[in-house]
Amino acid sequence: MATATATPAGTRSKKPAGTYSNKRQVRRNTLIGWSFLLPNFLGFALLTLVPVVATFGIAFTEWDSYSTPEFLGLDNFERLLTDNNFRTALLNTLYYAAGHIPITLAVSLGLALLLNRKLRGVNFFRTAAFFPYITSIVAVAVVWNMLFNPSQGPVNQLLTGLGIDNPPGWTSSPQWAMPAVIITSVWRDMGYYMILFLAGLQTVPPELYEAAKMDGANAWQRFRNVTLPSLRPTTFFVLMMLTIGSFKVFDLIVVMTDGGPGRSTLVLSQLIYREGIVNGRFGYSSAISLVLFVLVLGVSILQYRRNQKLEA
Amino acid sequence: MRRRTIKGLAVTATGALLIAGCSGGEGESATAADGRTALTVSVWNIEGTPEFNAEFDAYEEANPDIDIQPVDILADDYPEKVTAMLAGGDTTDVLTMKNVVDYARYASRGQLQDITELAESAPEGLEGLDAFDQDGKYFALPYRQDFWALYYNKGLFEELGLEVPAELTWEEYADLAKQITEEAAAAGITPAEGEKVYGTYHQIWRSLVHATAAAQTGGDQLSGEYEFFEPYYEWALDVQDAGATLDFATANSQQVTYRTMFTTEQAAMLPMGSWFIGALLQSKAAGESDVDWGIAKLPQASAGEDVTFGSPTAFAVNKNARSADAAADFVEWAAGPEGAKAVASVGATPALQSEEITEAFFALDGMPQDETSKAAFEPGEVALEMPVSEHTSDIDQILMEEHELIMTGSVPLEEGIAEMNRRVQDEVLSR
Repeated sequence: MATATATPAGTRSKKPAGTYSNKRQVRRNTLIGWSFLLPNFLGFALLTLVPVVATFGIAFTEWDSYSTPEFLGLDNFERLLTDNNFRTALLNTLYYAAGHIPITLAVSLGLALLLNRKLRGVNFFRTAAFFPYITSIVAVAVVWNMLFNPSQGPVNQLLTGLGIDNPPGWTSSPQWAMPAVIITSVWRDMGYYMILFLAGLQTVPPELYEAAKMDGANAWQRFRNVTLPSLRPTTFFVLMMLTIGSFKVFDLIVVMTDGGPGRSTLVLSQLIYREGIVNGRFGYSSAISLVLFVLVLGVSILQYRRNQKLEA
Repeated sequence: MRRRTIKGLAVTATGALLIAGCSGGEGESATAADGRTALTVSVWNIEGTPEFNAEFDAYEEANPDIDIQPVDILADDYPEKVTAMLAGGDTTDVLTMKNVVDYARYASRGQLQDITELAESAPEGLEGLDAFDQDGKYFALPYRQDFWALYYNKGLFEELGLEVPAELTWEEYADLAKQITEEAAAAGITPAEGEKVYGTYHQIWRSLVHATAAAQTGGDQLSGEYEFFEPYYEWALDVQDAGATLDFATANSQQVTYRTMFTTEQAAMLPMGSWFIGALLQSKAAGESDVDWGIAKLPQASAGEDVTFGSPTAFAVNKNARSADAAADFVEWAAGPEGAKAVASVGATPALQSEEITEAFFALDGMPQDETSKAAFEPGEVALEMPVSEHTSDIDQILMEEHELIMTGSVPLEEGIAEMNRRVQDEVLSR
């Protein structure tokens, strides 16, 4: 048992196929494989799969988590259409995604390109760029709130120093709260995606650059025609993760603005929490979750299709 | 082969579920290691809320066969955590009702035991009991009743040569706050922390404006018509615009606490709930602060009135309690004179009021002894902070959001109030 490895069944079997002992071997290997998966799968099934599947049922009921659920049909979804909070949260989520996805993508790619060369202390800079990602989100929110303080914060002091008379109110202004959250989230996430891009960059064969140089391509043309196409699998993965992460943003918003001022940074996942956990309307809250699910699924499928077209 | 494995998995998973399910419900009342009956009580932030331990110690002394085991919960997450616990069939015996809105929710879901009998035999002078009336039935008894008053820093008043007024109108209060701010700056008084001495500090909670307005004008916070907030907003904004309090935006984004503002002497006045008395006594006893403080009645709309607001805190018995009888006995004890004495002994305001208890309260080490403070401790009328109905939490959310917009200056006052009216009527009342 202890020496057995979880190699894919049968691939390395020395015995000819179809014998009795081979079949036993296959079965044993499969079981071992499953047993390695089991702890993770059990946790996933109990804590994630069951609630997720349950959401699909609960969304069509009215349920306070205590009494018997009452079947409502499509009432919850009808209510969504006229719910002002839902519309606001949906628009804010799209706003956040539209800001967070492209900016993080561009910044992390830029960082990766910058730190993918041989330069003194490159490891230090890579670590520094990754640092925000492993910092506690609460600390991040507190510090950025201080930086964004409208009257005494360094950000506005800098802007005033640069000659801007009326610097934005950031988290205390309904117009600027979302940009402030986006800036903070880009700063936090860039290091992680930079690491992914760095890994992608290392796999680009140097011969391609050499060949491009021989053909007289300048730096921009080399980036455009060699780096970007070679990075496509990485970019696709990063884009997917960023999309999913953006649509379900919760923690940063809750600790930084808690949806305020007013409802200017209220997002869908926060509304789900508020309706379900705080107000005990699990049916309605599940209906919003379903909408979020469909939204993320839809955007992911679009991206997946586009990626396949480009690869073909 | 594969199918069988999946079947095996399914069986294992079901088994795990069953085991998890079984470990949940045990009917027997628990016994502590030393043979005493264990009584579990849900509490928040037990270190910072000294009346819990005061009550538990006193009760255990009177009932040697009971061992109280507090279930400590983070104060900010308390309602959500208790909701989740109850939904999961938790068996904690006594549940502390932090606010009336959550109480109404638990009671209407049938998660609390009916203790109407205990309420009917409750002692005279138990304030705040009415808030727990659910169509003639009671599911909790208050042990504590807080109300809002005006705290002032006697030291700063003396330094500036000012008298502490026993009674103020909101207009006089606003003028006084501005006067203190100016004179403190002119006299060059600087606090230990922070940049300057403010005349007052307005905590960002909407209650400061909304609940005060409702209590003092008779307005209804669930009505969907909020014109009665207007004069109160005008006073609050006037103080803020004059720089006589830390502005809302800064206080909100920097998560400034009223406790810091007052104990580091950055604010000469502070409208706040009576729970702050206990915290002040505690921090003074621990040597963390040496503010010389007192309380006065909350400012009024016009002179001669005496109305403030507050909310009771109560104990209830869980429907799934393991030791239901002991739990009911504790709830009754806490609402009675012995419980009230324990609560008062740490500077918290008990729901049961009597001369004896007030005297014991002011005999505490560190309590101010002036007549103004003593008068403030017996408010004329205490209105409930927020009325209870099925709409309370939705309306609360809307009013909070619009309050934020008005106080940060994002929306002009009249527009903000119009928006409150419109949203509460469209999104809640007409639904």
